[in-house]
Amino acid sequence: MSDPTVARYSKGKRPGFYADPAMDEAMSMIMVLSSEFFVLRERLDTFEAIAAEKGVMLSEEIDSYEPTQELAEQREARKQEFFDRLFFVANKRAAELASQDSSGRYAAALSTIAEE
Amino acid sequence: MLNTFQQERHAMLPETTHDESSRQEFVKSFKQYVQNKMLPNLHPAYSAQVAQFEKEHDRLPKDRREIRKIMVKDPGFRTYASANRISQELQWESVLTSIERQLPELNAKAKKLSAASGAELLIDPNFETPRYITALDIHCMPGGYAGEACEDDVSTGALYDRGVYLYAMGYMGPHNDDLGRSVGNYIKRNLSGFTPTNILDMGCTVGHSTLPFTEAFPEAAITGIDVAAPQLRYAHARAQAMGAEVSFQQRDAAHTGFDDNSFDLIVSHILLHETSGKAMPQIFKECHRILKPGGIMIHADLPPFDHSDLFSEFILDNETYYNNEPFWGPMRDMDQVQLAKDAGFPADQISFDQAPMAILEFAAAEDKGYEEEAVAAVADREFEAGEFAPGGGWEVLIAHKSNEVGGEA
Repeated sequence: MSDPTVARYSKGKRPGFYADPAMDEAMSMIMVLSSEFFVLRERLDTFEAIAAEKGVMLSEEIDSYEPTQELAEQREARKQEFFDRLFFVANKRAAELASQDSSGRYAAALSTIAEE
Repeated sequence: MLNTFQQERHAMLPETTHDESSRQEFVKSFKQYVQNKMLPNLHPAYSAQVAQFEKEHDRLPKDRREIRKIMVKDPGFRTYASANRISQELQWESVLTSIERQLPELNAKAKKLSAASGAELLIDPNFETPRYITALDIHCMPGGYAGEACEDDVSTGALYDRGVYLYAMGYMGPHNDDLGRSVGNYIKRNLSGFTPTNILDMGCTVGHSTLPFTEAFPEAAITGIDVAAPQLRYAHARAQAMGAEVSFQQRDAAHTGFDDNSFDLIVSHILLHETSGKAMPQIFKECHRILKPGGIMIHADLPPFDHSDLFSEFILDNETYYNNEPFWGPMRDMDQVQLAKDAGFPADQISFDQAPMAILEFAAAEDKGYEEEAVAAVADREFEAGEFAPGGGWEVLIAHKSNEVGGEA
């Protein structure tokens, strides 16, 4: 027998707060991500606190730590890749403009591909 | 003032990993932010909207519904209301994850604790859950009060226990028992000479407000009733885990099945607004029937709207629209004093009063996170509609049954 599962959604239509339902979704996503940000931040706090209890003053060492050139480059690359993902839609829009892709071309494909 | 209030652990409370606990703490912090910073922002937003309304209509909005119509379009209100709703969703989700992970263990633990209790746990296999509980999941709590994931389940009880603590941001104390504690204190301080021996707590859920009565009146027999079996199973096990023996029974407050003249004190805590237009008057009648002559009923809930502050009424009514509380607004349009009269309580024996919050006691007891300054800030603040818990005290409706046997008003 599989483990019992609990209900994850409440019964009762969820109200919308914004003119565009996508905004309601986005607000929820932002708060979920904010929550995960603090989950991670607190895991780090805990890590430092436990190390300190064992006599390793990580937070002081962290504050005075100078990254090596290799680490500095890794960090910068990671951030730039993150921005690429964060601005995915804007980047795709620019790429479409550059390649002269359009919704007209998409619609044309829909009507012609089936015939070809 | 920083709120670092912490719920006290007991054997039935679901365990949490570091990350689950962080997620739950995040919700508590978020709710505090919504209350402290986002809620007050609504005042300037309302002023601007109402000025525009007055210009267009040459009058002020006439009731809370008209205010809602103009406010739902306000960007500031949208942010507030949406944040409030999301905090509620994150709250349940953050607790559900931990419960699902350990559900079979939790149910087994509840069974074991219950078996060790000397008090009765009565679950009625033929019980019909009222529609006002099943139509919508109240507070957006997935599964609702009565939802069961499997046989002999306690999951929604566990969800309620931890969820309410987060919802209340710890204002109800390390055991979520401020309401029961406050009502108990109120009786001892204001109804001198009244020492109940047989107490009934209606709509007790997991027994948060029931257990303080074992402390206030150690000689009394105490029974908690509720319509939701998982809440009662959890309540019974939780009480045992906390060293209290209280009988928990599945019964409908409107039709309890108890004999006439059974109790000398009947209490309820935030129950009435979760019932219905027909159930509430019937509950008053049932209280009168099962109270002994001279007995007292005390309902700690909210008084009717007096229409002196329409904006506050609109804010309070958000619960009706955004938190699956269908009876929250309509209940406050009903005349509870008249309902008590109709139930047979003598007119001069019915009144509203305030039972001061017991939260200061938690600082005195040095409960975790209940620093004196933080606790005083909760107790002393000026209440603003939309906040959790009043500053001064909980509203209570009190009615004494006539002393004369069979004396109906």
